[in-house]
Amino acid sequence: MRAEGLFGKEELEILKNLNFNLCLQCGKCAASCPMFLRTELNPRTLVRKTLYFTSQLTLYPPFSISEINNVWTCTTCNNCIIYCPRDVKPLNIILGLRAILLERGNVPSTIGEALENIYKFGNPFGISSLKRAEWARGLNIKKASRGSKIDLLYFVGCITSYDNRAQSIARSMVAILKNSEVDFSILGENENCCGNEVYYLGERGLFETIIEKNIERFQQYEVSKIVATCPHCFNVLKNKYKVGDIEILHHTQLLSDLIDKGMMNFSQRLNKKIAFHDPCYLGKHNNIFEEPRKILESIPGVTLLELEHSRRNSLCCGCGGGRMWYKDAGEISRPSEDRVKEAVDIGAEILAVACPLCLSELEDAVKKIGYESKLQVLDIAEVVHKSISAS
Amino acid sequence: MNIIVCVKSVPITTEAELVIDRTGKAVILEDTPFDINEWDEYALEEAVRLKEKFGGEITVVTVSPRDVKEVILKCLAKGADRAIKIVDRSIAEYDAYTIARILHTAIKNMRYDLILCGAQASDDGYALVGVMLASLLRIPYVTMVKGLELANGYVITVRELEEGFEEIVEVKLPALLTIQTGINEPRYASIMAMRRARQKEIISLDLKSMNLTESDLGNWIEIQEFLIPERKKKCIMLCGDANEVTTKVVEILKQRGFLK
Repeated sequence: MRAEGLFGKEELEILKNLNFNLCLQCGKCAASCPMFLRTELNPRTLVRKTLYFTSQLTLYPPFSISEINNVWTCTTCNNCIIYCPRDVKPLNIILGLRAILLERGNVPSTIGEALENIYKFGNPFGISSLKRAEWARGLNIKKASRGSKIDLLYFVGCITSYDNRAQSIARSMVAILKNSEVDFSILGENENCCGNEVYYLGERGLFETIIEKNIERFQQYEVSKIVATCPHCFNVLKNKYKVGDIEILHHTQLLSDLIDKGMMNFSQRLNKKIAFHDPCYLGKHNNIFEEPRKILESIPGVTLLELEHSRRNSLCCGCGGGRMWYKDAGEISRPSEDRVKEAVDIGAEILAVACPLCLSELEDAVKKIGYESKLQVLDIAEVVHKSISAS
Repeated sequence: MNIIVCVKSVPITTEAELVIDRTGKAVILEDTPFDINEWDEYALEEAVRLKEKFGGEITVVTVSPRDVKEVILKCLAKGADRAIKIVDRSIAEYDAYTIARILHTAIKNMRYDLILCGAQASDDGYALVGVMLASLLRIPYVTMVKGLELANGYVITVRELEEGFEEIVEVKLPALLTIQTGINEPRYASIMAMRRARQKEIISLDLKSMNLTESDLGNWIEIQEFLIPERKKKCIMLCGDANEVTTKVVEILKQRGFLK
């Protein structure tokens, strides 16, 4: 089968612009892929077959749509890019193929629904934006208003705003900032989805719309600095938006900075063994490895443990890149379960994360395996919160 | 295979706190987002699949009291070739019969093999427009269709009946089918595709340009009053540890006579 059978002219152009003719087919991308052994996704063959197609070479067995559809199982963890010795960037091929399928309207229905909700409601859950700041009720937080300049904006993100469990991250973050007397504001009902998953799902049109809307907000309130507790928001704001002089921080960076400046008042000992799980969008996408560890080590009483797979070698929880909305055809073993077992094996009592998606996925895994009495999953903000207040 | 799909723009009310207006005969919808009626989305998808298989053209027709640009672009992005939008503020006051009359006026001189409508609309739920339109056009119709196949000038349909029963009905084309949800999996309309869809043909009409006057458009149904249902059941949240909660559940079950 030749290229014209499967892709249109414009679609081939998307793929031709990607640099993958240097691929050696060494298979490091597949070997490091958290989904390779669990699903039919194989980044190595996707690269090879796409190269054949764009070079007009005949391929047997032919490349099929069902094979291309496997791209929806990718977690966009970035391993395939990190481990490629030839800088091929297999993830970009996956994103290109996603964009092609999406333009054709060929998207798994649950992902399509999340995208439509983001378009209509500004969040993937389809909940009214009027309920976005309900977590903040009674906390006396400054909301951005017309004519006010914002020095530090706390960008809460959709999951932290709406998910009951993740809301605790926001409340802890607020308590920490207040305890350190840091002046900050939130956008409240005016906050909109950051668009990270929209970008990684290949919905380029929607992504452009989101960026435009959000940048307009930031400019309207003259924002100087943004802190995000979700590394997905952090990644997209830092690397995909063109925000000019606005400084973008992840909360681990901000908290680490507060410790350096002596503005963090750790008043409680926390005699716990804590392992830190590096979220993909914080570590593998943005090389932030030291700050979270420094924060945990600064807490009196904490013993920091290293997981077998950590830093650039960290294991993906399995939720990123829109995969949290993807329903697998059958039951697959979840990467988060392996991660939780690893934490228990080294004797950790708390598995600290720095991402609301990792929090929810790893906590589910703990419940599924029945490790509730052995291991607690907490965001780093929640851990810090415990050590600055008696509650 | 030329297909007409009738679509309706409906308010998304799952998250809205609905308020009845002062007349008591309408719901305030100013700040409510609108989208294509769910059943119509399945009807459109079925039309696009037929077009992909047999060729032909799809025309989307919509009648609405308010702007329907987004809904129209979504239909065009998903594969419709042209759209006719009949927008007139007075339409808010019209019932299913009048809507069917308006659609009839727009469609009667068009060439078509099949008309697809959603089985019902999520806002008023009458399930009337499709069948009334078919009667006005004097063509056969089948309702609640959950499967269809074309064969030599006929369409063989599977109707959904109660308790899992199915009925197979064959009708001669041209015919009108009202489509049930679940017949297919509607495709996604990307924002890029919606932007490109602006290039497609969109015909804008209003009642005046269609030469429809008050006398053509008499309602059959008059709404007496809208009411918000009284809350009769309530949910009790039980707090405490497992032992406490279990004790409370047992007490409640005893009080209600479910346990002795």
